[in-house]
Amino acid sequence: MSAEKSGASYEVLSPWSEADPIPLKGLAPRLADLAGKKIGLLCNNKRAASLILSAAERILKKRYPSIKTGWFKANTFSVSALEADRRGEFEDWIKGLDAIVAAVGD
Amino acid sequence: MYDAASIEERHKPTVTLVNRGFANDTESAARSQGLPGLRYIPAAVPCEASIMADIEAGVDGALDDIIGALTRPLTPEEKSPGGREPEKPARVIFKGSLREVNRFLYQRGWTDGLPIIPPTEEAVAEMLTGTDLPPDHLLGKLQSRMGKATIEKIAIAGVMAGCLPTHMPVLIAGTIDLLESEPGFTGYTTFGFSTGSWAPFWIINGPIRHQINVNSSSGALSPGNIANAAIGRAMGLIVKNIGGVRQGIEDMGVMGNPMKYTSVIAENEEESPWEPLHVEYGFKKEDSTVTLSFPQTYLQHWPYSADAQGVLRAVVDNTPRGMRRTIIFTPPHANNLAREGFGKEDVKKYIAENKLVPASIMRRMQMGRPPLDYGSIPEKDDELVPMIKDRRFIRVIVGGGPGAFIAHCVGGGATPGQKETQQIELPKSWDRLVARYKNVVPTYAKY
Repeated sequence: MSAEKSGASYEVLSPWSEADPIPLKGLAPRLADLAGKKIGLLCNNKRAASLILSAAERILKKRYPSIKTGWFKANTFSVSALEADRRGEFEDWIKGLDAIVAAVGD
Repeated sequence: MYDAASIEERHKPTVTLVNRGFANDTESAARSQGLPGLRYIPAAVPCEASIMADIEAGVDGALDDIIGALTRPLTPEEKSPGGREPEKPARVIFKGSLREVNRFLYQRGWTDGLPIIPPTEEAVAEMLTGTDLPPDHLLGKLQSRMGKATIEKIAIAGVMAGCLPTHMPVLIAGTIDLLESEPGFTGYTTFGFSTGSWAPFWIINGPIRHQINVNSSSGALSPGNIANAAIGRAMGLIVKNIGGVRQGIEDMGVMGNPMKYTSVIAENEEESPWEPLHVEYGFKKEDSTVTLSFPQTYLQHWPYSADAQGVLRAVVDNTPRGMRRTIIFTPPHANNLAREGFGKEDVKKYIAENKLVPASIMRRMQMGRPPLDYGSIPEKDDELVPMIKDRRFIRVIVGGGPGAFIAHCVGGGATPGQKETQQIELPKSWDRLVARYKNVVPTYAKY
C-alpha cells in the first residue's frame, strides 16, 4: 500500500531562513528643477551602460541646455565593487553633484 | 541598485535605468538595501544593447520618467518608509502527505523543482547528528536576503536534498565558503546572481572523500551517487532558501545552467602523481576540504595523443575564454605528464604560455569592455597575446574514470587558492557515523 493510501502524514519544518529586519531609509529630497544643475552619470562596464547614459546625456542637455554632467565609470560589471577600490574618487565625485542618473547595462 | 542606495544615503537623488525584465531584481536589491522606494525606470532598452537607434529610442521614451524621478516630490512613504517586523517564519510550516508536502514546498518556491524528502523533526534530528554544533548556531547571514544560516536550516536543506548525516560537515563548510567568499566582483555576491548563470562547483579533497563515498572516478559529474548528487543539491537549496536567491528575481541567469542542480567531484588523490588541490592551497594532506568556484561552461575533449605534447596541445586548443578554470585530467594523462617531467605548475605554465590569440581577435572578444584578467591589448592586429594572463587562474585536478577525455570547468569565482577553500570540521562521533552510513551505496545487479 502506498504512503498516500496508508494516510502517512509528515509534519515538516520550514526551510526558509529567518532574517533580521533591515532598517528602512527614506529617499533623498528631490530637486525642484533640473535646469542649471550638475547631473552625475554612473555606469558599470556592461556594454550598454555607457551608451544608455550617453543617450541620456544628449537628450537631457537638449531639454535643459543649462545642465552640466559628470561621469563615473566602474571597472567591473558590479558597480558596488568600485566603492572598495576607488572609494575616495567616488566620494569626491558625488560631492560635486546635484543628482545622479545610473545605468547598469541590463 | 546598491550604488544608487549608497548615493541616496549621501542625500543625493538618484534614478537608475534598467531593462524592463530586471524590475523584480531591481526591487529586491533596493529592499535588501533598506530603500524599498528607490526610484528606477524600467526602460525599453534591450539588455547589453549596442544598437544606438534602439538605445536612443528607449532613453527618449523614458526621459519624462527620468526627470520625474529626480524632481517629483517624495511621498510620505518614500520619505519615511514604515518599519518591517523581523521575518520569523513558523518552525513547523505544514502537515500533509508526501505529495501534499512536496506540492506545498514547491508552490512556495522552496524546492529546485524535483521532489524532496520531507524535512520532518525526526529527519532533521538525524541530519544534525552530523555535527557537534547546536541547531541554533549561526554561521552568518547569507546574501542577498541576509538570511540566517543556522545549523538547523542547513540540516533542513540537507534532508530535502536527500543527504546523509555524514554529508552535514561538507554542507557546513560549503556554507562558510559562500559566507566568506571574496567580496566584490570575484565572489559569490556576483557569481551567485549574475546573468552569466555561473554554477557553484564543489571539489572535495582529503580523507572524507572515501568516508562519505564522493565519486572521483567514472561519471563523477553524472547522476548516480548520493554524495555527489545530494551535497550539490543541498547547497543549491541553501542558496535559495537561506540566501533568498530565486530564479528570475535575484538569480538573473539568462540561460540558466544544469550544473546548478548539483556539481560535486572528489579529486582522485590516490592515482594522481601531483599534490592534491588542498595541499597546493596550504592544507595538510590529512585535512578534508571543500573548494568552491563558479564555472559557466563545462566542456570535454580528447587529447591528440597520450603523451604530454598531445595532451597539453589539445588542452590549449580547446581552452575557451574565461576568467578562472578547473581542468580535470584523468589519472593516465596526469601520470603521463608527470613521467615527462610536468608538475602541476608546469602544466599551468604551458597552457598560459601557449594559449595565444591574435590581438585583433582578443579585441573583438572583449567587446569594448575594460580588460578583466586579460590585460592591455597591443595595437598590432596580428600580434599574439596570451588569453590567460595569470596562470594562478588555472586549477588542475585529477579525476574521472578510464578513458581519454579531459574536462574543463570554465568561468569565474574567487582567486584560486585564496578564500575559496574551507576545511571540513568533523564531529566527535565521526567514526561511528561513518560506520553507520558508509555502506549506503548502490549495488548494481548484473544482467
